[in-house]
Amino acid sequence: MRRLIIIIAAALLVTVRPQTPPPIVLNSMIPGDVNVTATTVSIDTFQPDFDNYSWNTFIALNWPPGSDGNGDPSKKIGQNGDNDTVWEHYRDVSNIFLPGGAKPTWNGPVQIPDVCKSLNKGNLEVVTQIGKNLLTPTVVSAMSQPFNTGPLIDQNGVFTRFQIVVNKTMFDYILANSLYSKAGQKVFTPPVNFTSGSIDNNGKTLVEGAIMVKAAWKVIAPADKARFHSEDVLVYSPASANPKYPARCTLKTVGLVGMHIGHKTQSAPQWLWSTFEHVDNVPTDADVKSGKLKAKYNYYDPKCKTCPVNQIPPRPWDPTKISAFHSQIVRMNQFNLPIYANSAAARNATAQQLLRGVNPKSVWANYQLISTMWPTDPKQPFGAPAPTFLANTTLETYIQGMVPNVSSNCIECHNNATITVPVPSDFTYVLQRAQ
Amino acid sequence: MTRAIPPSIPILDSDIQDFADMSAALTGFQSSVLKPALDPVGLAREYYIFAVTQVGGTAMTTLLNAYRAIKAQTARQIADTLLETSGSSPSPQAQLAQSIVAMWYLGAWYVPGVLGGGGFAPPPLQVISSAAYTNGLVWRVMQSHPMGYSPFTFGYWSQVPAPLSSFGVNTGNGGGQ
Repeated sequence: MRRLIIIIAAALLVTVRPQTPPPIVLNSMIPGDVNVTATTVSIDTFQPDFDNYSWNTFIALNWPPGSDGNGDPSKKIGQNGDNDTVWEHYRDVSNIFLPGGAKPTWNGPVQIPDVCKSLNKGNLEVVTQIGKNLLTPTVVSAMSQPFNTGPLIDQNGVFTRFQIVVNKTMFDYILANSLYSKAGQKVFTPPVNFTSGSIDNNGKTLVEGAIMVKAAWKVIAPADKARFHSEDVLVYSPASANPKYPARCTLKTVGLVGMHIGHKTQSAPQWLWSTFEHVDNVPTDADVKSGKLKAKYNYYDPKCKTCPVNQIPPRPWDPTKISAFHSQIVRMNQFNLPIYANSAAARNATAQQLLRGVNPKSVWANYQLISTMWPTDPKQPFGAPAPTFLANTTLETYIQGMVPNVSSNCIECHNNATITVPVPSDFTYVLQRAQ
Repeated sequence: MTRAIPPSIPILDSDIQDFADMSAALTGFQSSVLKPALDPVGLAREYYIFAVTQVGGTAMTTLLNAYRAIKAQTARQIADTLLETSGSSPSPQAQLAQSIVAMWYLGAWYVPGVLGGGGFAPPPLQVISSAAYTNGLVWRVMQSHPMGYSPFTFGYWSQVPAPLSSFGVNTGNGGGQ
């Protein structure tokens, strides 16, 4: 029986490991791949291993970095409540796909919109106050979700902002293949094939593969900082003709409310997709029906019984103003098997307990894994992903559900991605930003 | 989506596996395609439950027992026997086998023994689920995909389709083609 399991697992490009490491660990090392410890082959037995991988990746990416940008093993995540993170030292896509197709650098200057510059120079006190952004300020601007389905507006009437960064492995591939410019993409010889992560027989990382992180941020009040991973950023709204408003930039404190992590690995040429949210974001549909509601959510008003649920905000969408419309968002059922929610809940409890063990006030204990999408049959283009649908309420708010080709499915959607010429881009849309 | 299981119908994993193995012989596909070890969709279970709710547990058990008695035979022999291809007037049991074939290929339920006219399906044809539609075997045999849903990589239309064997079709000893 064990031999059969090994054969099947090998066929899936997933290696059954001889040892069983602790499932979730407080470690600064980013897992190079999933470490499958299950001894029987089924979705029920494999999903927990993938969810453990997701939590270990979340912990490592949010670990305090050392001077080289990698996680500093001498520190602990959340030891002071909140901390600077590894992934926030990755390269933002706005600093990779530069005007005119200019060649980017990993540690070069960041793109600061003109309207933001007055907030970021000549005023050392202000700059000092924004701490870690002294040299590399974070500019968040995007407020649109996939397929322009609409913005997400919090309970204070403020638009949620989004940010995409890539790790050095992914950046180096883009640079080495001149994929940062349209001109480079035009002469590129396909296929696009980003570096895959890998682990050894003991589950130790051998190679860190290409990683993309997509983050969702909401503006928070100073009093809320104890509950969120927060950052002082330049919130930039480019000028718009319809609706008409000028470019605007403000310095705000924002809290992390959503986080996608995509990682290409040896076992997953379709990438592994992990998605996390702040625990206060929204109630589930079951919570609403049973009346088991918290007093306050980031994107749901429990006192409002008539607010339309999961509705796209009415136009015009003007992120420079406080909106009278507040998103009333509910997490809809998206799983056809109970294991997905059950596995995530069990791993969330374990990880949150570990994080509170470092510091009872750790902001990181306020995040939860929604699930991990992985290819069950990597030889197929789609990979037959499990689960079959996966949405983050801050990042795919309006495409939750279980309708093929409409509801959110990470692999299915990213399988359609191309570069700026008709060539598949290896499951990433960021290359379409080349100029 | 997994359907609610009527409390009066016991669902045994062994029955679902036998249903998948029998379906493989009837459809000419590999059982590991209809019910893979890592099965995120769960169509075999969904179809088994759906069919049982339509025709009752007794009819399904009788058909499965007929299959179990000949399961050591080749897929083609099993299909010919259960579908009664040598006769001109299929029994109710063979009509159920026909409906199971149609369910796998078209993702829809055709009431056993009810014939349509003009080449169209008879009412009440019922599409079982969105997963059933997108996973219909007919698309695999066509080496194609359903309207509005493609599992292939961008640009596939400029390439020669992959061989039938890569779509899970049993190209060895056949089945109920």
